[in-house]
Amino acid sequence: MSDIKPRDIEALLETFEASGWSEMRLKIDGLEMVLSKSADARPAAGAAGFAPPAPPSLAPVAAPPPAATTSAAASGASRAGPTPEHWLTVRAPNLGTFYRAPKPGAPPYVKIGQHVDADTELCLIEVMKLFTTVFAGVSGVVRQVLVEDADLVEFDQALFLIEPAPAA
Amino acid sequence: MRIRRVLVANRGEIALRIVRAAKSLGLETVLAASVADRGSLAAREADRVVTLGPAPARASYLDANLVVHAAMATGCDALHPGYGFLSERASLARLCEDNGVAFVGPAAASIEAVGDKLAARRLARSAGVPMTPGSAKLASAAEAVAFASEIGFPVVTKASAGGGGRGMVVARDEKALAAGFERASTEAQQAFGDGTLYLERYVERARHVEVQVLGLGDGRVLHFGERDCSMQRRYQKMIEEAPAAAMPDGTRARLHKAAVDLLSSIRYRNAGTVEFLYDVERDAFYFMEVNARIQVEHPVSEMISGVDLVKLQLEVAGGAPPQVDQRDIVPHGHAIEVRILAEDPARGFLPCPGRVTRWRPPHGEGVRLDTAIEEGSVIPPWYDSMIAKLIVHAPDRAHAVGRLRDALDAFAIEGVATNLDLLRAVAAHRDFLDNRLDTRWLETVFLPHYGEPQG
Repeated sequence: MSDIKPRDIEALLETFEASGWSEMRLKIDGLEMVLSKSADARPAAGAAGFAPPAPPSLAPVAAPPPAATTSAAASGASRAGPTPEHWLTVRAPNLGTFYRAPKPGAPPYVKIGQHVDADTELCLIEVMKLFTTVFAGVSGVVRQVLVEDADLVEFDQALFLIEPAPAA
Repeated sequence: MRIRRVLVANRGEIALRIVRAAKSLGLETVLAASVADRGSLAAREADRVVTLGPAPARASYLDANLVVHAAMATGCDALHPGYGFLSERASLARLCEDNGVAFVGPAAASIEAVGDKLAARRLARSAGVPMTPGSAKLASAAEAVAFASEIGFPVVTKASAGGGGRGMVVARDEKALAAGFERASTEAQQAFGDGTLYLERYVERARHVEVQVLGLGDGRVLHFGERDCSMQRRYQKMIEEAPAAAMPDGTRARLHKAAVDLLSSIRYRNAGTVEFLYDVERDAFYFMEVNARIQVEHPVSEMISGVDLVKLQLEVAGGAPPQVDQRDIVPHGHAIEVRILAEDPARGFLPCPGRVTRWRPPHGEGVRLDTAIEEGSVIPPWYDSMIAKLIVHAPDRAHAVGRLRDALDAFAIEGVATNLDLLRAVAAHRDFLDNRLDTRWLETVFLPHYGEPQG
């Protein structure tokens, strides 16, 4: 798994684009990729309609929810590999600019491997100089940060993966 | 042009319309959508889509900060607000101005100048635009009666502090006015915390006419003729036509001049509409209000004048005003637009969101459809129920009506209830064919008998 590089995924995309196939599903170790050319039909054909918000994706392919682990691989996450199912995703409450630290130069609110509680501050989302704090919402350990500091994030975009603490 | 990339801050057919107009001018497009509209046709045609927030409009399309932040973060140098939502908020225009994003619309100060009802009336008065004869604030019923005797009955009381029918009583004689005055004042007091009333002459049979204008930003204001939007239900337009065929040419010319004079006086920039009440019996028109945006019904003006108003909007906003002279804008033919709504007339016009399982729109010469719906589309429950605008164009009104009837007959929509049958019945009605309409025709003449067995 770790030897699949973004270039490899690009090559796969190109192969798929050039092919006459309408859909491609690929599973290698923990990596799962679903490519489809019926993007036009997706919002309509998907039985769920608009109910489960698809993760924002600017990729030319339609990645159906649940988010394939490709997002972790592509974002240069700290830990490659499959995401255990019980890990929880902290998502953006709205569009805005993502900040990991309270101010420029300050240490980030949280680091990978750090224990957090439900009320631990994880990051800020800024909209026209108005800052909203995003809290962990759960007790556990920060496993991945999926967004770069100062990136534009969209509503519902995955920001952090947290491994919940075992129930006491 | 000085602009390169446009943020489209809207949804539905107008978002798609703006995306296509921008692309045809070589501009890049970013659609700012709610999560419910990520899969929309506009989202697929835009160069990029960003998700603002959840489906409810107040958390997405109605948040000016979110929209402008999205524009800046995606490198947009212009923002088109469409109609509805934030389109007439001076605060959005100002936020754009302050952050170097070209607002595809009027200056914030212009939106303010025409947005307030009383301010707009002052503006109209100083520009010499006719208004319904009206009083200043009235202290008592006796004062009201005295004023009404001067201007003549019928009259209508209006609340100084607000609209929406509150504080409005139509009186046809002194007795009715004396009796209704207190009632209206109490109603206004309860609704707005201010019982102050004024009086206007009431127009019994009025048509709603409006003039499409475009300010070039250098003080010049062009007009693209007038529209007749008398077919309304609860102040919502349902059918719009251009030109206003029932109006004599002399009146028409004065109407256009009034609209242009009004907006020239504030060096109005970009698209706008000046709305008037037209008193058919007196052949007189009165200023109502200015809509500082592109309107739903702009296509009928495009059809008769042969221009693309949304492209012109973008060109004006981009500092490259079109080299068009008023003399070049020559209206030809007659155009009619009907609004197709996902509403069930049989159940009190209840909105009917859902999946469109069959969608067979009409085609043919002189038929245009502005929509973002396809077969399989889901109409979400959070927004306006308009799903398409069917526009027809023909050499004259009679042929346009014929074309409209054929197009409506050919249109098939299944999966959601629509007003298609109602539109067909209206289009076949004698009064519509004869153009004997006013703003209350639909509600007082047509709807009471709609659905009854024929014969």
